[in-house]
Amino acid sequence: MLQNEQEYIRILTDRLSGMLPKEDLEDILSDYREHFRIGKAEGRAEDELFRSLGSPDDVAKEIRATHLVKKAEETRSCRNIVHAVVATLGLGLFNLVFVLVPFIILIVLLLVVFLVGIAFSVFGPVAFVFAFLQMLGFSSFAIWLSPAAGIFISIGLTAVGLLLVIGDLYLARFFYHLGIRYLKWNIHLITGAVCER
Amino acid sequence: MNIQFKKGVLEICVLSVLAHKDCYGYELVNEISKQIDISEGTIYPLLRRLKDEGFVTTYLEESVEGPPRKYYRLTESGRKEEHELKEEWLRFTTAVNTLLVGKNNAAE
Repeated sequence: MLQNEQEYIRILTDRLSGMLPKEDLEDILSDYREHFRIGKAEGRAEDELFRSLGSPDDVAKEIRATHLVKKAEETRSCRNIVHAVVATLGLGLFNLVFVLVPFIILIVLLLVVFLVGIAFSVFGPVAFVFAFLQMLGFSSFAIWLSPAAGIFISIGLTAVGLLLVIGDLYLARFFYHLGIRYLKWNIHLITGAVCER
Repeated sequence: MNIQFKKGVLEICVLSVLAHKDCYGYELVNEISKQIDISEGTIYPLLRRLKDEGFVTTYLEESVEGPPRKYYRLTESGRKEEHELKEEWLRFTTAVNTLLVGKNNAAE
């Protein structure tokens, strides 16, 4: 593989174009162009500058992850957070354990609470109607031992179900913020700086 | 040294070099890689992030040999951050050194 300025810039452009705004990409490229220009003016060879810079792929991955996390922070959506998590995963094997596992556990947890909440909110009113009919003497709806207790319990179930669903949405929002902060910290700590000389 | 460890320290190094004087990218990279082995390319994304977080600003300045260079300067909050991180780092490393080599030797 060629190890010169052109190749370095080409790889960065290839990995980042279409994903960053054009001005941002130009800004990034100009930093590296300036680096090569000054290095060459000091008499260093292009391939040596290339090797000291390290892998342009790693740089691109880090910029990508940072950008996607920022985007997920600015616009809250499932899509954006998934993109941010996937980009951060790409930064190292390490993150399979430290990003993917917690992410999956959280998703499952939020989903379970949500489904339980929905089930309660649906079952509660149905049970309430049954208890009410039973109270009026329709014996075919007699699922409760005591219709009075049935009414009491089914109202309770509905309330708990609605609380779980609403609480889950707040919980999701809380974990979203926390997740963004964790990803930022993770990118900051994990990526780059690999240098074998 | 362990890679992850180095990366975390890079931010303090960059802030600390900039606390002494404004630098252009290449100069900053040189200052740091004189002391620590790093992939020099990772400094630029770090500088972008620090700019994003409001810790540094940039300005262009003419140079004698060629086109203008992009200089980085610490902002007020960057100075504060540098100070805090440095304090934290010194406290931590002193504690670790004490554990590693004993109280008397660590003080040397």
